[in-house]
Amino acid sequence: MLKYILNRLFHSVIVMFVISFIVFFIMFKAGDPVQLLLPPDATQQDVIEMRHALGLDQSFIKQYEAFLKNVAKGNLGTSFVYGQPALNVVFERLPATLELSILAMIFSILFGVPLGIIASIKPKAWYSKAIMFLSLSGISVPVFWTGMVLVLVFSVILGWLPSSGRGTVYLFTSAFTWDGIKHLIMPVLTLSFFQLALILRLTRTGMMEVMMQDYIKLARAKGVPRRVIVYYHALKNSLIPLITVIGIQFGQLVAFTIVTETIFAWPGTGKLIIDSIQNLDRPVVVAYLLVISFIFVAINFMVDVLYTFIDPRVRM
Amino acid sequence: MKKLTVAIAALALVGTMGVAKTLRVGLASGAYTMDPQAFNETATNSILSNIFDTLVRFDENIKVHPDLAVSWTNPEPTVWIMKLRKGVKFHNGNTFNADDVVFTFNRIKNWKKSGFKGKVSMIDKVEKINDYTVKFITKKAFPVFLRKLTYVDILDKETVKGKSDEWIGLHPIGTGPYEFVFWRKGDQIKFKANPNYWAGKAKFDNLIFRVLSNNATRTAAILSGEVDLINRVPVVDVKRIKNNSKLNTFVKPGLRLIYLQMDQFRKKSPYIKSPTGINPFLDVRVRRALYYGINEDAIVKYIMKSFAVPAAQFSPSVVVGYDPSIKRVKYDPAKAKKLLAEAGYPNGFSVVLDAPNNRYINDAQIAQAVASSMAKIGIKVKVNATPKSTFFPKTAKQDTSFFLIGWASSDGDGSSILDGVIHSKDDVRGYGRYNNGKYSNPKVDKLIEESDANMNPTSRVKEMREAQQIALVQDQNIIPLHFQVDIYASSKKIKFTPRTDSRIWAYDIR
Repeated sequence: MLKYILNRLFHSVIVMFVISFIVFFIMFKAGDPVQLLLPPDATQQDVIEMRHALGLDQSFIKQYEAFLKNVAKGNLGTSFVYGQPALNVVFERLPATLELSILAMIFSILFGVPLGIIASIKPKAWYSKAIMFLSLSGISVPVFWTGMVLVLVFSVILGWLPSSGRGTVYLFTSAFTWDGIKHLIMPVLTLSFFQLALILRLTRTGMMEVMMQDYIKLARAKGVPRRVIVYYHALKNSLIPLITVIGIQFGQLVAFTIVTETIFAWPGTGKLIIDSIQNLDRPVVVAYLLVISFIFVAINFMVDVLYTFIDPRVRM
Repeated sequence: MKKLTVAIAALALVGTMGVAKTLRVGLASGAYTMDPQAFNETATNSILSNIFDTLVRFDENIKVHPDLAVSWTNPEPTVWIMKLRKGVKFHNGNTFNADDVVFTFNRIKNWKKSGFKGKVSMIDKVEKINDYTVKFITKKAFPVFLRKLTYVDILDKETVKGKSDEWIGLHPIGTGPYEFVFWRKGDQIKFKANPNYWAGKAKFDNLIFRVLSNNATRTAAILSGEVDLINRVPVVDVKRIKNNSKLNTFVKPGLRLIYLQMDQFRKKSPYIKSPTGINPFLDVRVRRALYYGINEDAIVKYIMKSFAVPAAQFSPSVVVGYDPSIKRVKYDPAKAKKLLAEAGYPNGFSVVLDAPNNRYINDAQIAQAVASSMAKIGIKVKVNATPKSTFFPKTAKQDTSFFLIGWASSDGDGSSILDGVIHSKDDVRGYGRYNNGKYSNPKVDKLIEESDANMNPTSRVKEMREAQQIALVQDQNIIPLHFQVDIYASSKKIKFTPRTDSRIWAYDIR
C-alpha cells in the first residue's frame, strides 16, 4: 500500500512538472503582457522598464529556471495584474468553486441514484419513462440556457431568489446562512442538471445489467426479499463504474464551472482563469492549472482507494 | 411641553438616523487592485476614486476643480505652486499634508511597476515649501499639468512607507468620501461613508460595488432590483429597461474614438496583395477613398443600435483642441471608386484588417462591417479578429497592414491622441507609441511639440487644430469611425448623473 502511494505520488509530481512546462511555454508564446498592463499614454521607456521589473526581458529558459527555483521555495510567482502572490489569488477564489461543485455533486448523487434505481426496476412504467425523458433533457439542454431561464423566472419575474453573487459568506461558504443558501440554490441547480442526468442514466444501466446476473437469480430463487436484492446485492455491484464516473465528473465540475459562474457572477476560479488568460497573467494561469491538476490527481487516487473498499476483488 | 418637543426631536433624529442607506452598483468589470498607483485602468480607477482624493478632480464634464489643492499659481511656465487643504484627515486619523503629496509623486516615479508613470513623466521635481504648500517643477512648460493630476490619488506617507506592494494592494487608506470595508475578489467591494470627509459626509452610508461581467446577469440584477445602478447596459437590453417604470436609462457620449489606421511606412506591406506589388496605402488618395467608402451611418445604426456618435476628428467636442469646422464627409462609394482609379487601383486590392474581439464595444462586428463596405468599392478585406492579448502585442510590433483600434482622450485634452497616435513614432522622446501605421509628417510633429509646451490656451488650441487639419484632412493618416457612448441604468429612487470620464463617483449620487 505504501509503495503504491509513493509510486502514485511520484507520477503526480512528473505530471505536474510537465503541465507547468507546457503552460509556461504557451503563455510565453502568447504575447507580451506589458502591452496590456500599461495604459496607452505610457512611453516605450515605461514599457521597457516594466518588462525588466517583471523579468520578461529574459530568455524563455532563464524565465522558466527562475520559476522552478521559486517553486522549490513554495512560491509560484507574483501575479502581473493583481500584484499579489499567484497562489493566494487562486486560493482566495477556490472555496467558492469547490462549494458549488461539492454541493452540485451531492445534489446529483442524492437524486440521481434513487431515480436511476426507480427507473431500472420497472423500466416500462410511466414514471420510469418520465424520469428518462427528463434525464435526456438534462443532458442535452445547454447550461447557459438553464441558468438564464432560472434567473428570468425566479429573480426577474417572481423575485424569490437573488439573480447573482454569493450573499453572506461565513467560514468560507454561503451554506450556513439563509441569505447564502438563497444565493446558492440556482447556481447549484444549474450546475447539477447535467450531472444528475448522467448519474441517473448510469445507475439505471448498471442496475439493469446486474439484475440479469446469475447471482441475482439465485438470490431470488432462495427467496431473498426484493428490497435486499435491489439495495444490497445489485446496487453494490453496480457502484464501481458509477464511482469512477463521479470521480472524473467531480474534477470536471471544479474545472469547468466557468459558464455557471459567469451567469450567476459567482466569484470562483472559472472567471479568474478566463480573465487571467485574457490579460496574459502567466503566474496565475500556471498556479491555477497546477492546483486543478493536483485536485484531479487527488480525486483519482481517492477513487482507486474507494474501489478496494467496495469491491474486495480489486487489488492495488 | 418642552420635554415633549425634545422627545419628538429625538424621535425625528432616530428616524432619520435609523436606516442606513446603501447604494448598490453593478459593474461590468471590477477592480484589479486597491493600490491606486499600480494598474491604470478605468474600472479600477473608477472604484478607487471614491476612496482617494486627488489634488484636483474632474467634474462630470471633465472640467478641473480643486480637491485636496485649494488653489494654485503658475508663476513661471515650468513652476506650479499649490496650496493644500487644511484639516483633512486620512481614514486612519493621520493628518494630510505636503509630505504625503511629495511621497505620492515620488512613489510613482520610482516604482518600476506603476502604470501611472505617463501621468507624472513631465514632472521633474516635487518640493515641500511648508506643510500646506507644494511646488512642482516640470521639465518644460506643460499646459496639461492640472489634467494629469486628476489621475494621481494621494496616499498617506506614514501608512504606506516601508510596506510591501502586496500590503498596499489590499489596504487602501485615503482621504476620500468613502472608507474601505472589505473586498471579496470577483464578487463585491464594500465601502462605508467617511464621517469626516472634508466636504461633508456622503449621502449613502454604505457603498457596494458588485462585479457583474455577464451582460444578461447585469440586466437581470437591475430588473430584479438587486442593484440600484449598472454601467455598460447591453445595447440589446436598453429597450426592455426603458419600458420598466421603476428604472431610468442614461446615455453619455464618452471619450473613446474607434478608428482605422494603415501601414504608411513600408513599400511592401506584409498583409497586402496589390496588382503593383506596392503598398497602396502610401497614396493619400487610397486612404481618402477608404474614408469616403465606409458607411459609418450604417455601422452606427445597425451594429451600435444608434449608441455611438459618428466621428469626424480625433477627439469629441468636450475635449480641448476640438475643431467645430471639420465635418465628416458623406458616404460616397462612387467618389471612393474614382479616387482608387486615380491612384491606379481601379480593381482594388486585398488586405487583412486586424481587430480585437474583446476590447471595444462590438469591435469584431465593426471590422466585418468595414470589410463589407470596402467590398463595394473593390477592396477585398479579410478580417482577422483576435483577443486583445494577441492583438495589442501584434500591432505594437507593426506586424499588421491595416487595423481597427480605439483611443480615449482620458485627460480631456487633445494632446493625448496627438502625442500618442499622430506624432511620428519616437521611442526615445516618448511620442507616437500607438502610431503603428507609422504616419510621419515633420510639420505636424512640430505643431504638436509646440502646442505641448504652449501656455497660452488660445494659440495652443490653434496649433492643435492646425496639426489635425494637416494630419487628418490633408494627409488622412487615420480613418475615424465613431465615438463610443456610455449607457447606464438606475433605479428611479436615486439621482444619478453620468460622467464623461466614465467613472462612478458615488458622492454626487443622491
